[in-house]
Amino acid sequence: MRSRKYSPLLLELLAICLSLLILIPFFMIFINSFKDIRESALFGLTLPSHWVISNYEEVFNQDNLLRGFKNSFLLSALVVVSVNFFASMAAFVIQRRGGKFLQGVYFAFIMGLIVPVSIIPTIRLMDLLHMKGSYLSIIMYYTAVLLPFAVFLLVGFIKSVPRELDEAAILEGCGYFRLYFKIILPLISTVLVTVSIVVIVSVWNDFFGPFYLVTDSTKWTIVLQVFNFVTLYSTNWGVVFAFMIVVIAPVLIIYLFLQRYIIDGLTAGSVKG
Amino acid sequence: MERSKYPLYFSFPALFVFLLFFITPTLIGIYYSFTDWNINADAIKFIGLENYKELFNEPRLKQAFINTLIFAAAVTLLQNAVGLALALLLNEKLKLRNLLRMIFFMPYVIAPLVIGYIFRAIYHPEHGIVNQFFGLLGMDFMVQDWLNDPRFALFTVIMTDIWRVAGFSMVVYLAGLQFIPKDLTESASIDGANYWTRFKHVVFPLLAPAFTVNVLLAMIGSMKVFEIVMVLTEGGPGYTTEVFYTYIRNTFSSGEMGYATAINMLLFALVTLVGVPVLMAMKKREVEM
Repeated sequence: MRSRKYSPLLLELLAICLSLLILIPFFMIFINSFKDIRESALFGLTLPSHWVISNYEEVFNQDNLLRGFKNSFLLSALVVVSVNFFASMAAFVIQRRGGKFLQGVYFAFIMGLIVPVSIIPTIRLMDLLHMKGSYLSIIMYYTAVLLPFAVFLLVGFIKSVPRELDEAAILEGCGYFRLYFKIILPLISTVLVTVSIVVIVSVWNDFFGPFYLVTDSTKWTIVLQVFNFVTLYSTNWGVVFAFMIVVIAPVLIIYLFLQRYIIDGLTAGSVKG
Repeated sequence: MERSKYPLYFSFPALFVFLLFFITPTLIGIYYSFTDWNINADAIKFIGLENYKELFNEPRLKQAFINTLIFAAAVTLLQNAVGLALALLLNEKLKLRNLLRMIFFMPYVIAPLVIGYIFRAIYHPEHGIVNQFFGLLGMDFMVQDWLNDPRFALFTVIMTDIWRVAGFSMVVYLAGLQFIPKDLTESASIDGANYWTRFKHVVFPLLAPAFTVNVLLAMIGSMKVFEIVMVLTEGGPGYTTEVFYTYIRNTFSSGEMGYATAINMLLFALVTLVGVPVLMAMKKREVEM
């Protein structure tokens, strides 16, 4: 206990030094995004000898950029809706009704949490269903992949919603749909936020899914656009870094504003669920 | 109220999507792994165990298998060690506590692909800041070609992934630490327990749920690693960083779909074999608590 007097300062210094390990890479791409072709290839941490704004002009002149953002936004939003909706309905009856069949369903979802997707057969399946490369195919892919986690989390949480509420509602003449929409959904809304955050982060940042499933370049997400852009511009790192800054800036800004919520949501979900 | 009155059909939409888009590809994948499905061939022919025979004679598969296991073991271990250390550090009463927590979690919200590209610049043999830093310190023996030297490539990829995911573990451990009553640690320290004994006998046992969640997620996630390896090394140099998904990608782009599907099936078997026992252990412990 005696050491308490000075140790917080040392710990604080230690923590700050460690945080530099995280911050320096971000600083590196930021500072290099303002350098010309020759200087940016040195990947240094020094300030630019002259600030090159044209890197950003070049990035914003790309049609792909806006389209990539639009596609990522559209996909994330639709997947959030479908995962939350399907998973919460399923989790509700899995927890409340139980029984052999639903136990089996729950077990299947849990297995889906572990095992990897078979991506090439998925392409084949989409082909057979005549939906290859469509928005619907990629939405369904993400929904199927993210459902297990959402069901797992939600079943855990619905346990904490007392059954007496259901009974009272049903006695009052409320149907099961209204019970689910009017009583259960509002009570589990905090977990739905957690699910939404995880879904958005997964879909927005994913490269694997669209890389295999989206052939049409007009439907590429922003991460695929990064991949494409780096392949095309790998000789001019200044422009590549500018593109990366434009891509990660919105994510970081949203994160800065919502970080309390994100971190709290994730922790609540991960330990209790 | 009777359980059987809850409508079963509430589970149908989720079940339908999951069956059609997750289970079905897995099942048809089993079939296709026994075929010569090829982008150049007109028809798909059943060839029995040929793909698997060929795979098991392929040193590249052995390499991918070993690398995936090393990667998963190292990431699981280090991610938890670093995550726990950060959580303990940022559970102390520091002035910048919230800001620092936010910074450490930051890499987790960035696309792994982008992180891969950033680190490709950082590990650049001549100009990269890692080598610049060691050069500046006069530690010339640490100046290496991190991504192109077969001795270091896998290690470098592992370190990059730790950089990306340690903050996630930290957050889960921080959540676990919130559930530990203050008076428990305080009374232990009044009884004369030092930091280490307090940690071992009070804090660590109570962190068990956070620990299981972290280990499970780290193991499952790391066995499915793709983007980081693809961008940093493409599985090279040689096959020294080849993992299942980079191997699948390469056979996929050369058009050998049946063969690539067989690789996917082996990954499926590996992850199930490792993941299910861990999950069972976790479920069992949940009941005990």
